[in-house]
Amino acid sequence: MNVLVFVKQVADTEARIIISSDQKSLEIENKYVVNFFDEFAVEEAIRVKEALKDVEITVCTFAPARATEALRTTIAMGADKAVRIDSSKFETDDPLIIARILAAYAKREGFDLILCGRQAMDDESANVGAMVAEFLNIPHVSQISRLSMLDPGRAEVENEIEGGKKVSEVALPALFTAQKGLNEPRVPLITGVMKAMKTEITVLDPASFETPFGAIDNGSSNIRVLSYELPAKRPSVRIIEGQTPRDKAKSLVKLLGDEAKVL
Amino acid sequence: MSKDVLVFIECKDSMPRKASLELLSAGRQIAAKFSSGLSAVLIGSGVKRAADVVNAYSDKTIVVDDEALTDYGWDTTSSVLQDIVKKYGPMIVLGTSSMTGKDLFPRLAVRFEAAMISDAVGFDFEGDGLKIKKPLYGGKVISWIAPGTDAMLMATFRPNSFAVSEPGQKGEIIEEQANIRKNPGIKVISFKKGESKKVDLQEADFIICGGRGMKAAEHFSLLEDIGDIMGGRVGASRTVVDSKWRDYDDQIGKSGKTVSPKLYIGCGISGALHHIMGMDTSKVIVAINKDPNAPIFQYADYGIVDDLFTVLPALKDELKESREES
Repeated sequence: MNVLVFVKQVADTEARIIISSDQKSLEIENKYVVNFFDEFAVEEAIRVKEALKDVEITVCTFAPARATEALRTTIAMGADKAVRIDSSKFETDDPLIIARILAAYAKREGFDLILCGRQAMDDESANVGAMVAEFLNIPHVSQISRLSMLDPGRAEVENEIEGGKKVSEVALPALFTAQKGLNEPRVPLITGVMKAMKTEITVLDPASFETPFGAIDNGSSNIRVLSYELPAKRPSVRIIEGQTPRDKAKSLVKLLGDEAKVL
Repeated sequence: MSKDVLVFIECKDSMPRKASLELLSAGRQIAAKFSSGLSAVLIGSGVKRAADVVNAYSDKTIVVDDEALTDYGWDTTSSVLQDIVKKYGPMIVLGTSSMTGKDLFPRLAVRFEAAMISDAVGFDFEGDGLKIKKPLYGGKVISWIAPGTDAMLMATFRPNSFAVSEPGQKGEIIEEQANIRKNPGIKVISFKKGESKKVDLQEADFIICGGRGMKAAEHFSLLEDIGDIMGGRVGASRTVVDSKWRDYDDQIGKSGKTVSPKLYIGCGISGALHHIMGMDTSKVIVAINKDPNAPIFQYADYGIVDDLFTVLPALKDELKESREES
């Protein structure tokens, strides 16, 4: 069975981000990590492999060269192959174009199961997973918290939906996005890290393969970032003084009502 | 070209969600700018009562009421929504950045090759066009994004992004028949209803959130009491959820939920960046912590430096009194 995991390398929470003076671009401190939710997807793929044995795990990203490091992390965890579809000639933030490229790759290689995180930590968009499933004309389930493989060619998943939890049986191939709690992602062992250092990472130019799902050139992007800015800053904190906790609580409630007008 | 606006309405307990009414209020401003129409679409079962509420905000309320649509599924709901979009031809389709919105809109955006902008918090006009405000990197940066001029725009917004306007003139209710397409690959085995809470965390106007300083799961009853008085919800930091004091469902922060209530009160929360990123867009932030150097005070409007176990009971009484007065 072939399992494909889409990952994204994202800026670490602590990374410094500077907005250029013309507000048109961002300079991000070189601190990148594998997207938090994608780690659950990689881990789950490894668990499927451990359970079913005859499984090959391919991890794929659409990214510039710096993401090689993220791919090596996933190999160190236990993925078999890593593919980087080079994004350096693309300027797009359009999820539709990214999904067209990833779906084209998935279609070309053929997979039984596709996993990815429920959303990326940088843009929190949660678009590409379901979009890829739509292009491939396969079912998807968002935010899964449990996956069991049933044979032949079916999986049972649990996911959180508005108002509760749902258990569904899904025919493969299918795409699932991972929620926190799906598993506990493993920390790579030193032997894994050694293997990852030696593993060759395939680099593909999207122009080199057929993209049957529509245009992918920069000109076909439906999204244009006009500008970046810093969020509005809050005035500095007002510490409520008082003799007793009750005095403080009283003053706070008064301020929330009279000054902040939120009561 | 006319830029008609269509709002996808979500319901809870057969009534429209507050977040959907917010979108109608925002959609009204957009439609006014483009001199176009504002429509709402309700897809579900037993949604006619909700349609009466929605209709006071929109020119047209399109209702697709069918028993087969009782439970949301991206396959069935998207097939119906697709037909409605095709028939009515809006250029702008708005939805909530909820679990449903995030599951549904990407599917639909592919079918219409739409400009998809999700998890947005506002909009503005630039020349003749619309631009969408979207936070990036957990709110460290705000981006302004323009959809392509010829593309249909599909945008989802976080709850509490807009104020709900006063209801206006009643529009027209149109009932449409559903041609529901189900994906044969998915079979629902069971649905377990979660603990029913009156307000969703992301929609709540008031959130009181507990951190490690709460010391134990049982102390959260203090927060629950205040949450009930205020008609709001209790949230939790990651440490609290990892310690199993609260469910993951309550987690606020980068790996949990992003909230922007009118009033957020953090109790015993140090203010790790991870948590701040999930609540920084709250209108007013209060921090209660006995450590005056806790980072959360850098992000708060008001702070109380004291033992929360003595402050909270007093705060509960004061809030109760102020609620009773108003």
